[in-house]
Amino acid sequence: MKRLIDFKNFTKGIWKENPVLYLMLGLCPLLAISGSVSDSIGMGIAFTFVLVCSNIIISLIRRFVPAHVRIPVFIVIIATFVTITDYSVAAFSPQLHKNLGVFLPLIVVNCIVLGRAEAFASKNNVINSFLDGLGMGIGFTIIIVFMAVIREGIGNGTIMGRPVFPENYKPFLFMILPPGAFLVIGFLIALKNTIEGRRKC
Amino acid sequence: MLNEQNLFLIFLSAFLVNNILLIKFLGLCSFFGISSDIKASVGMGLAVIFVMVMACSVSWVVYHYILAPFHLEFLRTLTFILTIASLVQFEEIFIRKKAPALYKSLGIYLPLITTNCAILGVAFLGIDYKLTFIQNLLYSFGASCGYCLSILLFAGIREKLSTAPIPENLKGIPIAFITASLMSLAFLGFKGLFKL
Amino acid sequence: MKRKEIIGGIIVLFLVTSLCGFLLAEVYKATSPKIEKQKRLEEEKLNKEIFPEGEKFEKVKKGDVEYFVVYDKKKRKIGRIYTIKSLGYGGYIYLKVGIDNNFKIKGVKILQHNETPGLGAKITEDKFLNQFKNIGIENLYLKKDNPKGKIDSITGATISSRAVVNGIRKLMEKIKNEKID
Repeated sequence: MKRLIDFKNFTKGIWKENPVLYLMLGLCPLLAISGSVSDSIGMGIAFTFVLVCSNIIISLIRRFVPAHVRIPVFIVIIATFVTITDYSVAAFSPQLHKNLGVFLPLIVVNCIVLGRAEAFASKNNVINSFLDGLGMGIGFTIIIVFMAVIREGIGNGTIMGRPVFPENYKPFLFMILPPGAFLVIGFLIALKNTIEGRRKC
Repeated sequence: MLNEQNLFLIFLSAFLVNNILLIKFLGLCSFFGISSDIKASVGMGLAVIFVMVMACSVSWVVYHYILAPFHLEFLRTLTFILTIASLVQFEEIFIRKKAPALYKSLGIYLPLITTNCAILGVAFLGIDYKLTFIQNLLYSFGASCGYCLSILLFAGIREKLSTAPIPENLKGIPIAFITASLMSLAFLGFKGLFKL
Repeated sequence: MKRKEIIGGIIVLFLVTSLCGFLLAEVYKATSPKIEKQKRLEEEKLNKEIFPEGEKFEKVKKGDVEYFVVYDKKKRKIGRIYTIKSLGYGGYIYLKVGIDNNFKIKGVKILQHNETPGLGAKITEDKFLNQFKNIGIENLYLKKDNPKGKIDSITGATISSRAVVNGIRKLMEKIKNEKID
């Protein structure tokens, strides 16, 4: 039975149904941006903003949209919020905008956003949709920042530009480059499998 | 960034050096989903080539002849995604009527491509790099061939891997990522292949 | 599917799209002045870093070359700033170079590059770029390329370093017949 406000919708996005670890969605920006902690935080915030806003609007108008045009309508709404985010970031932080590059507008085809709109927001009330969006967004942000801490820390010796290792640390360059990204996410998922496996015992 | 390069180099650069999948991180979602099966990968790869070249060319025309002259560049995201979605719809209908055999092999991958970030990504890059129409055509062709190459190589490796002894927690997705990591490392070696 | 349903669907889609388009136009109008201002501030900041004594930077276009003429607070011309691109390891490197009245380099700033992080990317570091200060065209080579050269290349990033050096030298050769006055 659906409750009016169900906080489970928020918490599930963080672990149980974490969009990256479990649903395997949103990989493109995850791997591309996780080379830098500050960029990852920016991406996480932008992403969460788009997800929450589109979830809210789609949930608000869900009864007025005929089934056969719902996908185009969702896409238009998501694209609008993505563009708003794109220009807002460009106006307030040109450096972040340059670093995020093409991945900011690419949020529009991010499977997480369209997936949540289709699977949840179109079928639930506004408050729950808001919680769902927030949870998924934060879940994504946690993973991307965690990866960035590893990649930037080991690969560059810094976190958010500040050195975290003693002077003579030779950065393991591999981590910042594309292969490093694939490796880190691979081991992260293996880690998740291990944790899950232990829980079962 | 790619302005004065000759056309063959643009193709080669998109195909190998800056491979959209393994170096530029575009198109990953479908990459991991489809590549466990070689036949499906062939289908997806061909579908991507077909859609990407058309979608990027049409998007280029829309941007330069409709959006830019009216200073509507901010509608770029909206129009591109709608263009791609409708194009995929039309292509699906067209292929179903005119080439049923091709439709059978491409099958369900065609509509799946709409959310493939590679298509939209390459369309955007064609504009960001300030390419001409012909350069854009070659860039999208090279990029999609690069996608096809990567996914085929990957599917082949994964098939071999399915019979290899792998630790329990690394089975499936994790080992796939580690494989991708090694492939990406190999493709990184293409940098400096030629003085672009 | 009934006619009515299709038309209903299209109307909804049209309404939503128009509303969104309108919303986007407003957001664009609100943010584009700020974006333009950021771009100008960024450019001014870079210009000032190259020529700290510069008070006014005037954009000039001669033929197909665009550059800034730098004036100090007494309205005297003290140099020029050019933006050039040079082919590096991973693509084009875009950089700004300031040249003073003695035809020596005042400063170099890297704008955009695609070089390898940790290696070629080091061309943005002051350690490399400070070498260019006060260098004239006759010494503008990598030490390993020419005995007259005064620039040390970055370890493991010769191609990137060379691209910067050669790009600037090409520019200076092109303009050496013009007076900076």
